[in-house]
Amino acid sequence: MRTKTGVAVQIARSSDASKRRRIPLSVMVSIAWIVVVLLVALFADQIAPFHYTSLNLPDRLIGPFDPQHWLGTDELGRDVLSRLVYSVRISVVVALAATVISAILGTTLGFMAAHFRGPVEHVILVLIDFQAAMPFLVLSLSVLAFFGTGLPLFIALMGLYGWERFARVARGLALSAAAQGYAGAVRQLGASPRRIYLRHILPNVLSTLIVLMTLTFPEIILMESSLSFLGLGVQPPMTSLGNMVGYGREYMTRAPWIMLAPAALIVLTTLSISLLGDWLRDGLDKGLR
Amino acid sequence: MVRYLLIRLLRAFITITLVVTFAFIVLRVSGDPAISIMGDNASPEAMAAFRKEWGLDQSIFIQYFNYVTAIFQGDFGHSMRGGGPALDLVVSRIPATVMLTLPALLLKVAIGVPAGIYAALHHDKSLDRTVMVTAVAGYTVPSFVLGLLLVQIFALWMPLLPTGGTGELSHLILPVLTLGIGGAAILARFVRSAMLEVLGQPYIRTANAKGIPWGAVVRAHALPNAAIPTVTIIGFMVGSLIAGSVVTESVFSWPGVGNLLVVSVTARDLSVVQCILLLVAATMVLSNMFVDILYGILDPRLSNANSEGR
Repeated sequence: MRTKTGVAVQIARSSDASKRRRIPLSVMVSIAWIVVVLLVALFADQIAPFHYTSLNLPDRLIGPFDPQHWLGTDELGRDVLSRLVYSVRISVVVALAATVISAILGTTLGFMAAHFRGPVEHVILVLIDFQAAMPFLVLSLSVLAFFGTGLPLFIALMGLYGWERFARVARGLALSAAAQGYAGAVRQLGASPRRIYLRHILPNVLSTLIVLMTLTFPEIILMESSLSFLGLGVQPPMTSLGNMVGYGREYMTRAPWIMLAPAALIVLTTLSISLLGDWLRDGLDKGLR
Repeated sequence: MVRYLLIRLLRAFITITLVVTFAFIVLRVSGDPAISIMGDNASPEAMAAFRKEWGLDQSIFIQYFNYVTAIFQGDFGHSMRGGGPALDLVVSRIPATVMLTLPALLLKVAIGVPAGIYAALHHDKSLDRTVMVTAVAGYTVPSFVLGLLLVQIFALWMPLLPTGGTGELSHLILPVLTLGIGGAAILARFVRSAMLEVLGQPYIRTANAKGIPWGAVVRAHALPNAAIPTVTIIGFMVGSLIAGSVVTESVFSWPGVGNLLVVSVTARDLSVVQCILLLVAATMVLSNMFVDILYGILDPRLSNANSEGR
């Protein structure tokens, strides 16, 4: 009897430990795909067989699996694979920049709310409520069309996506950190608030913020591609994934590959990052939901 | 409870004011509507007349004051392109949008809630994983991709349904599916995690230990408690009935509010865009308030705690 329970406990323990260590297959595949996408974005110039704007009118609407154009060509004879490669670069750059802006903005405001309390905190909380209540697509649509659609402005606007989540989490974490004593200890030693927040509290809450970033990043890609799809995001001759789907839509009957290739890429990429983000969050489990 | 209601009302009012101000600042500061409507070639006299007619020659504060006053009188201005009242134009598009979003909402609830409960009750079994992977997939496919894929499959490869347009019931199927599938995935994830949280509570273990049949424990103890957070997210979905289908309407050229928004934004039709923004904000704020109140009724602990001010 005794040995039986002992074995059972051991088995339970080892399966527990292996569960913690082993990365599920889906997450491994996701990581591999994300690495591929990042490499493609980084080495777009070397990978793309053609330039993304180079026209070749005689070779219009060639189907996929052509020896020269693996994914076919579009209505102007541009190589779909090359355009896809450059689209990945633009989409990744926009989404990465926007995620970083959103994280920095939100964390700063969250820390400020935790530090100053009082009216400052109230104003920030009202702003958080406002941002959370308004559909981002409707807000950004009006801003974009009225300020024009330059790339820097577009990135800045995308940087507003999800800041309220960072602010909420950063405020909560900073408040609980302040109660833990180490922040108070450094303050007693005469550290400036900036030093306390950046050198002491931030490193302690960084893991949670990074997980939040992996959860926000795919949503920004989706938002960017939706706006570009509507013709109000990245503008031609520049190309992004959503923009490619938007223009490929006109040729759905005759050349569905123009639309299907970027669509598949968007889905695979956001799916991979979401799976990775979910897995990271489950491992972290610090009330991020 | 009265205090709780008052705080909710005040917050709703502040949010609406913020939206009005935001809309006004963005839409007026961004550029000269006279140039964008009349074109670069219009004569200075015509421009001046246009500015005077729309009150654009006055200071921004007076414009703002006039704007807010007009809104409280129910006047949202006129469409700069069509000439008719902006509110009438927007309101005339609402039925078309609701015709899409309401069946989609029902679809979301009909699929999402049972799927989430089912997954939670079979936690960590292969069924749970299948449901969750499907849910993540449904959630990460953007609506324009899903919509176009459905068109590709059911309208082009198998010509069963129309690609777009309105009029018959068959026109509704693809857009409603597009809206419903993504939302169902979000809802399923949410219901599952709410349900799992409740199932982990001590009172469930107690009920179980008392020998109550598992089905009765779930029905009497788990489901009612998991319903509270679920009501919230469904409330948010009700709030997006008007604005939640911008992309889908554009994919299927559906003549609803979302389509009007995209067209008006491209044409810089200020009054219409502002009207839609306000309408969307009002719907969101009202449904959030409604959810908050419902929440207070479902879970009395909250209305007592929150009335202390947060």
